[in-house]
Amino acid sequence: MSVASQWQLMWWRFRRHRVAMAGTAVVVAFYAVVVLADFLAYASPTASEAQRSLLPPQAIHWLADGRFRPHVYALQGARDPVSLKRVYRPDPTRKIPVTLFGRGFSYRLLGLIPTDRHLFAVDAVRAEDTLFLLGTDEQGRDLWSRLVYATQTSLTIGLCGVAMSLVLGVLLGGISGFYGGAVDTVIQRIIEIFRSIPTIPLWMGLAAALPNDWSVLRVYFAITVIISLIGWTELARVVRGRFLSLREEEFVMAAELAGCSRTRIILSHLVPSFLSHIIAATTLAIPAMVISETSLSFLGLGLRPPAISWGVLLQQAQNVQALAISPWLLIPAVPVIVVIIACNFMGDGLRDAADPY
Amino acid sequence: MLAYLIRRLILAILTVWAISVLAFVIIQLPPGDYITSYIAQMSASGSFVTEQEADALREQYGLNKPVWVQYLRWMKLVLRGNFGIALEWQRPVAEVIGDRLWLTMVVSVAAVLLTWGLALPIGIYSAVRQYSVGDYLATFIGFIGLAVPSFLLALVLMYAGFKLFNANIGGLFSDQFVEAPWSLAKAWDLAKHLPLPALILGLAGTAQLIRIMRANLLDELRKPYVITARARGLPESRVILKYPVRVALNPFASTIGYLLPYVVSGSIIVSLVLSLPTVGPLLLRALVAQDMFLAGTIVLLLGVMTVIGTFLSDLLLMWIDPRIRTEGKR
Amino acid sequence: MSRHRKRVSRREFLRDAALATGGLTWAALSVDALAQAPAGGAPPKLGAQLIGKLEGPELVLDPAKWPKKFSEAPMLAELVKAGKLPPVEKRLPEDLLVIKPLQGIGRYGGTWRRGFTGPGDVENGNRIVSTDKILFWDYTGTKVMPCIAKDWKVSDDGRSVTIHLRKGHKWSDGHPFTADDFVFWYQDIYSNKDIQPVPHPDFMIGGKPGALRKVDATTVVFEFPDPNYLFLDILAGSTGMGGGMASQTWLGRTMGAYMPAHYLKQFHPKYTSKDELDKKVKEAGVDGWVSLIKQRWEWRLNPDLPVLGPWKTVSPNNTPTWALERNPYFYEVDTAGNQLPYLDRISMGLAENLEVLNLRAIAGQYDLQERHTSMAKIPVFLENRDKGNYELYLDPALNGSDATLQINHAYEADPEVAKWLHNRDFRRALSMGIERDQLNETFWLGIGVPGSVAPSETVPYSPGPEWRKKWSSYDPAQSNQLLDKIGLPKKDGEGYRLRTDGKGRLRIELQTSAGAFVPHTQIAEMIKEQWKKIGIQADPKETERSLFFTRVAGNEHQIALWANDGSEVLYLFPRHALPVDPAEALMGHPLARWYASNGAQGKKPTDPQLLKAMELMRSAGGKKTEERYKIAQEIFKIIVDEQLSIGTVGQSPATMGVRVVSRKLGNIPSREINAQHCRTPCSSHPETFYYKA
Repeated sequence: MSVASQWQLMWWRFRRHRVAMAGTAVVVAFYAVVVLADFLAYASPTASEAQRSLLPPQAIHWLADGRFRPHVYALQGARDPVSLKRVYRPDPTRKIPVTLFGRGFSYRLLGLIPTDRHLFAVDAVRAEDTLFLLGTDEQGRDLWSRLVYATQTSLTIGLCGVAMSLVLGVLLGGISGFYGGAVDTVIQRIIEIFRSIPTIPLWMGLAAALPNDWSVLRVYFAITVIISLIGWTELARVVRGRFLSLREEEFVMAAELAGCSRTRIILSHLVPSFLSHIIAATTLAIPAMVISETSLSFLGLGLRPPAISWGVLLQQAQNVQALAISPWLLIPAVPVIVVIIACNFMGDGLRDAADPY
Repeated sequence: MLAYLIRRLILAILTVWAISVLAFVIIQLPPGDYITSYIAQMSASGSFVTEQEADALREQYGLNKPVWVQYLRWMKLVLRGNFGIALEWQRPVAEVIGDRLWLTMVVSVAAVLLTWGLALPIGIYSAVRQYSVGDYLATFIGFIGLAVPSFLLALVLMYAGFKLFNANIGGLFSDQFVEAPWSLAKAWDLAKHLPLPALILGLAGTAQLIRIMRANLLDELRKPYVITARARGLPESRVILKYPVRVALNPFASTIGYLLPYVVSGSIIVSLVLSLPTVGPLLLRALVAQDMFLAGTIVLLLGVMTVIGTFLSDLLLMWIDPRIRTEGKR
Repeated sequence: MSRHRKRVSRREFLRDAALATGGLTWAALSVDALAQAPAGGAPPKLGAQLIGKLEGPELVLDPAKWPKKFSEAPMLAELVKAGKLPPVEKRLPEDLLVIKPLQGIGRYGGTWRRGFTGPGDVENGNRIVSTDKILFWDYTGTKVMPCIAKDWKVSDDGRSVTIHLRKGHKWSDGHPFTADDFVFWYQDIYSNKDIQPVPHPDFMIGGKPGALRKVDATTVVFEFPDPNYLFLDILAGSTGMGGGMASQTWLGRTMGAYMPAHYLKQFHPKYTSKDELDKKVKEAGVDGWVSLIKQRWEWRLNPDLPVLGPWKTVSPNNTPTWALERNPYFYEVDTAGNQLPYLDRISMGLAENLEVLNLRAIAGQYDLQERHTSMAKIPVFLENRDKGNYELYLDPALNGSDATLQINHAYEADPEVAKWLHNRDFRRALSMGIERDQLNETFWLGIGVPGSVAPSETVPYSPGPEWRKKWSSYDPAQSNQLLDKIGLPKKDGEGYRLRTDGKGRLRIELQTSAGAFVPHTQIAEMIKEQWKKIGIQADPKETERSLFFTRVAGNEHQIALWANDGSEVLYLFPRHALPVDPAEALMGHPLARWYASNGAQGKKPTDPQLLKAMELMRSAGGKKTEERYKIAQEIFKIIVDEQLSIGTVGQSPATMGVRVVSRKLGNIPSREINAQHCRTPCSSHPETFYYKA
């Protein structure tokens, strides 16, 4: 008689939830972007040029003379003296061919393999001067490339924060739930104190107290770690709750009677039974991290320029002139929305699969 | 029961005290003090302060004393019911917060009502008509509120309101009513301005609530007593609404507690973008300016609200669900 | 404008805007643009159509030309009829201030709507009521004019300045305004050690304090132990002695040179019994009579305070609406005898953030707003003019650079970096590595003037037009040469120069703050890209504003980006040009402390040229006007030649220069002077603005 393991059961239940599968596919795709950032970008994200400032997204024309030859038109730009806006005009006589998997700036794929292949590339000229799939920002920097690198930063850093919260939450929640009594009460009070502290003052204080000579990314990393110290409370409560109820289950008593050590009980019996919940909760924590990052950049407390993240890009679009004149600067909101929705679907599916009853 | 209550009360007081200390420490963490912020503001606005003036002010406000001295000074005032003077506003802290407090509550309560008013029916509908088009649509709209960064949404809607409808830009009152005394007309003006902030604030919570409601109701609907009720011939609406929905509402009792601090502070970010005269932006300004008494008092207030809220929801839970009551007696 | 360096690909595919080479070479930007473009020849400077001609109302100083009959606003006439106010002839002083409005006699009535950002935004109101200053400037910002004082005299030896007040001048509550109000301030406020522990620098010369003496009811003398020719400028400028009561008394400041004695005596222990005073202190909830009196003399918080300006507060500025209403005893009339101001009320609405404020201005909800409006939004303002029924004017400022790289000449933390910051050729190389035209186009919409920190040629402190370009044009070849020569030839694999102490790449930190009128952090980002070509790695570090100043005060920064506004009147606002004021010493806090304490504290500058500039500055107070101008020009020559601070783009409308004016308002100048000492918009005399229909 063959018995499906718990994980297999979970997977079968999960597979049936179509929306969750779609969400998972999207999340995987985003993390592929994280890994392949250099491949997907075609321009340096910091190359500024005033004459390219605030270019709208450029259309790729797919056919030339009836054949499949993707190309873009060269652009001329000037500042209109009456409206004082920058105005661009494409020149249809100058076609610049766009190649897929063409050659661009060199980098190391996965940090190891030196290459210069990119998803999009232009021949014989610099991509910074000619290709603008999502337009440019105020300083003339290509938005597509910046968005790719922003995705890399935002998703990586958020994940680290979540991981730290996870460790702390499971540890403290487990101890609290398993031992009960005074230990439990003390930890519960600590949780309550942590939950009452508004995060914004904490961030401000910490952001200011960190040394001046740390790089921007290092500062944010430090702050994310510290914030995860507050975020663990939610996870700890869930873990504690589960431990409290599982403690009374028969299989634990059986294990105790069989003579298993405390540690063994916790690690090989209790943990697997709520691991699925933890995974689900973690997946649902990623959107919270993403929203925190964008909100804190908005308030000026998170990542700041010259770092590139979703929060930084959105913060630079958070003004009237972006809405009125250069709305493509708001495009970075799209991956934010998509990732959050996808993570939620994926987390929902995981949660349903782990405990449908 | 009484012993339990007294124990909780003592713990609550201790917690609040710990929060006050932590709050003060955190507010003091950034280097500099209110005077540095004052100098910065003056310089940025094209004016200037001499060093002697700055030093004199420091002396006057007691900012050159060590942190723990300032904390004790503040605590002494708090215990007497006087929360000190807000330096930027040059008014008593109680007045500054009080002005904004009830408006904050109005906005937050409106947001909460909107959230529940939207989420519960949609959640019920989603559960009953599971996997239908309506279900997916409702869930999708809920997610928009959750996924779109609120500050962006606020700005976009505010701009759209101006461009398309010539609507008032931000704030809670039209020009002529801001300083006017209270009247029916002013209340109606407020009501006209509430939908946008309430919508933006509420959307984020709506998705969560929809999903939780839906999940809980689905669980309940599978239980045997529902099948029995149907078999007995009860109309569908009664079958759903009379028992399953009430049971599904249980978990909300535990979240009510955390609504209280939210109601008091509102959402800082959305209030900032929409320029609402609520406590949220007040806290942010106070923190940036390191206005110790004002910031400390607001944080303390939030802490107290949280503690009260947790206490209330624990009580509520115990009252609703007898199983927890008996479990507590272990 | 200087030409860019062009690369092959850029020339081929992105033709540079013909603006740099002359003449628009391509068609159909917009119909209007074509209409504007001249046939051949240089195109008009960007934004020129929005910059008007400098104009403003003029004072009529000849008593023979003064009106003999007077009239008043209808709302005041009603009060006179009800017996609550004396008739207008009794309210105006005998020695009137008569002004000829710019376009014509106005009409009474109306409310001026504006936006403000909170209780800290005091300047928003201060600048409008600045006609409470002792002396003022004309609308060109070059001539000193009477204001509260009808006349003045500087003694030949420069040791005393006498001002003559106006006979019959009254406070806003009808009480007479006389020299006694100056005496009260001097004896009971300024000399009271509880209120003013140490003398104020604006009332000192060479470290020695000045004194005030009453001659008669309308004559006051300021006396100094040494010649102080600068004092006249100080009285007319926005300073502790001359700024006027409104601007010099907020949040605990104690200056202004006069105060309403009859009102404030009730809060002063010399005139009120201790019990009375203690009772008042307790009622107010403050911790002492000093806090109480300081709160009571603030015009923005206390509607009961008598004032001299055209409007007084009726709703304090720590509430959501800061409302001002006309002062029935205001001392100014127009040439037809109408008592000013024309506008009845000013109502300022609180906007918690700048986007909301700008959006309200775009929507036409403000009648005149030049404060907090941002240059980056100019195209949106232009787009919505008809919808909002307003006009947009640009008023360029006179200071050299809105985003100045202020170098910390006292930096010590990293000896290698300190060594290079002290090296004049290094600074020159950095300056020539900045492509200012790029910055101008991106952040100033092409409207600013690139160059050094030297102010506009129209001010007498300017050393001359060639000093705008000196060491401040884009020349990476010369930059690289200089850097190679001074000992930084070695570069790493990515082309960045290496430190000489072997610790790797040379990094220079650019400290910026968030939320200034100009986007300093983004400018620093662009400079970082540009300095790649000269092999210098820049590290922009943005901090929140008060942390920025804390770090500056702690001598922690290497280079800080800030504006140098005020330096166009060097002696009144020297802090952005040289390290002379410890409260805001971007060029070196220890050096400023040395200067301010006359050598007793702080550190003496080691750079001989910087020292020379600071000593020149110290000597200027005792010199007459013409000589002072020459000294200022010398100082600026040193600053520019040594690149003590590096300028980028200036003389632009970035700060208070984007003026949104409702089309319904009249007597609005097409261009007003945008300078610190002129208290923009007060030099255009807002009391002469009126609603046309």
